[in-house]
Amino acid sequence: MLKFGYGGRVLRINLTERKSQIEMLDPLWVRDVIGGRAANTKRLFEELDPNCDSLGPDNILIFGIGPLTGSLLPASAYYTVTAKSPLTGILGDSTAGGQFAAEMKLTGFDQIIITGRADSLVYLMVTESGAELVDCPEYAGKTITEVTKSIRRERKNYSIQVAAIGPAGENHVLFSAIVSSGNRVNGRTGMGAVMGAKNLKALAVRGSHSLEVADPLAFLSEVEKIVKDILSHKEYKKRYQMGTTMLMKDLNNIGILPTKHFQEGVCIYVDEISGQKLESKHKVKNKACFNCNLHCSRYYMVGDLEAEGPEFETLCSFTSRIGNSNLPFALEMNAYLNQMGLDSISTSEVMGWIMECQEKGLIHPDDLDGLSITWGEVDKIRDIVNMITFRRGIGDKLANGAKKLAESFGEEARKLVMQVKGLDMICGDPRGIKGYGLTYAIASRGADHLRAEPYFELTNRKDEAKKRFGTEKAADRLAEEGKAALVSYSEKIALLTDSMTMCKNIGLCMDILNFERASALLKSATGIDYSPEYLEKIMGDFFDIEFKLNRSFGLRREDDTLPERFLKEPLNEGPTKGSTVDIKRMVDEYYKIHKWE
Amino acid sequence: MIEVDISKCTGCKRCEAVCAFFRTGKINNRLARIKVMNLYEIGIDGPVVCNQCKERYCMCCPDDALSMGSLSQVIISPTLCTLCAACEEACPIGAIEIFDDLVYVCDLCGGRPKCVEACTEGAITYEAEGAEYPSLAFFKKETNKMNPSQKRHFYIKRQGSEVRKKWSKRYA
Repeated sequence: MLKFGYGGRVLRINLTERKSQIEMLDPLWVRDVIGGRAANTKRLFEELDPNCDSLGPDNILIFGIGPLTGSLLPASAYYTVTAKSPLTGILGDSTAGGQFAAEMKLTGFDQIIITGRADSLVYLMVTESGAELVDCPEYAGKTITEVTKSIRRERKNYSIQVAAIGPAGENHVLFSAIVSSGNRVNGRTGMGAVMGAKNLKALAVRGSHSLEVADPLAFLSEVEKIVKDILSHKEYKKRYQMGTTMLMKDLNNIGILPTKHFQEGVCIYVDEISGQKLESKHKVKNKACFNCNLHCSRYYMVGDLEAEGPEFETLCSFTSRIGNSNLPFALEMNAYLNQMGLDSISTSEVMGWIMECQEKGLIHPDDLDGLSITWGEVDKIRDIVNMITFRRGIGDKLANGAKKLAESFGEEARKLVMQVKGLDMICGDPRGIKGYGLTYAIASRGADHLRAEPYFELTNRKDEAKKRFGTEKAADRLAEEGKAALVSYSEKIALLTDSMTMCKNIGLCMDILNFERASALLKSATGIDYSPEYLEKIMGDFFDIEFKLNRSFGLRREDDTLPERFLKEPLNEGPTKGSTVDIKRMVDEYYKIHKWE
Repeated sequence: MIEVDISKCTGCKRCEAVCAFFRTGKINNRLARIKVMNLYEIGIDGPVVCNQCKERYCMCCPDDALSMGSLSQVIISPTLCTLCAACEEACPIGAIEIFDDLVYVCDLCGGRPKCVEACTEGAITYEAEGAEYPSLAFFKKETNKMNPSQKRHFYIKRQGSEVRKKWSKRYA
């Protein structure tokens, strides 16, 4: 039995039968996936019928953490939620930080696997003894904060952590989110809708199992090195002040800040919507995930509104991407989306796509129940988001996401959906960051950067690039050369952060984690002899599981590409002017590295 | 005494994690003698730890298992303690709690509190001498029938309302 690092147990809950069962986590089963995202994917691969209805009882919803989650390792506060995605029909998962994962660790369950469908609205209270199913019809329509507050108050315990869905998840909006710690979001791929379809309003955790590591002194000494490296990192101050919102200006400076739905890469009013502006005008204090010494999150107030966040993706999605220069409005939307449980990127894509199509005359208002909208019309945006949340009027169609919505329109309009494999693209124009472009194309959950986060290409470290990836070009953001090598390295580190678990901003973007370090941490924490070479091998091997799983959902090689805009239309202005993406070259090289097909 | 400025607390719980780890070799917030509350709905976070209150409500121990050390810290005698929970009930802010047959309360780590070292934000500081111990009479009255978790919640929420007044003035 796994004693150190791991809780060593798995909790299975069948909502249809209202039964739960505790299993031991098989040490051999978990050894080559470590935990977290990789273990969740392996579970899905082994147990899910790929043809099941993602919103039916047979879909499997998994909450998973890793052996270092909630430990003394800074920023080890992540959990992953995995299921078949109702938005994309393929592998769906999303991670979040905050406090939920560390408390889940104390329940002694490394995975909570939820199947079936409750016949009416319930929530689950999971402790070290197992699961209690609680009927909660009174929670229908409640926001994230209301549910969190109620569960804690009723149970007279404020250490309880809650991951809940809002009205959007209950209404099966296909890009609805799960939210914990008030504002920590499992946003992507519609995990909220899967939870909603199971009639599960919330998963609450509170445990009293202690986390023990195999060699506390050795583990402590590894942790102390990392603590020092974070505190002395050259980006520390900037990240402390602004978190990821620092990227608003950073991306604009290199001409890749999505503006007017990726038609432009330079936003002239960036100073009105920047991380700097947010910090100086609205931030009241820093916030942090469990045991993090970077504290990169922020709490803000604007008028009578307040919330934590936003992160860069939400900020950009509700400002430049939809042509809005009104920062307080974006902050209002961040608070609203987090309470209603909606993914900001996909919500923005629906609107940005309509705005561009209407501007180009490709969609008539009559085709959308009279809806007519253009850049930055905040009152209309507010209304549309509300209609999506409750599937009201045309909102019912919009709630299925931009790609499905576009299916009833012409080819020109369909091409303008900024998505890969049905997942709406994140904010970062791939024409100026080719490694990211490759990542969006090959990422197993669709257009997403977090699968590899090749931030290295933005750091201009030419010598290091030559050493690590065989060419200086790996550090040149505009080059295709060397990017397959870069991505196939950093996707392994990304997977490692998601599996052991650690924050990607710190582990990957700040280049804190590598296989040597992970080996020392995992050895001292779990007592299992993970060598750096073995870790690199198992992380690499994992992609074959993902590959097979997604093939079973019907994906093909042709799906590993980018929207046509990025391949054919160069940007007209700014430091990325004139560049397009040779995606075929990079994907071919990437496939060669993986020895696929 | 350990002074807490909750306006600087980010809710990271590093104090709580190192407290448990350095005293027990494990991580578990029930093993920590400083416990952080995250009040998500109002953006307030803050650690609760024994502040050696003027009143010393916990010294009501019927078995004389509690005494005051040279740093004014609470010292528990495990041999005299019968786990009657009188001290837990008496503390108005939930800074004393029994878990797994042991009483957990801050003893200032003998004068070099680990939590203070772990806090990068200056939210927890330590003053060895000249500290003015606060009165908890108000909380004693208000939290009378609550469990330790509810007491901590009430205490931090109350303190948070002062912080929020300042925020509103400046930002809202």
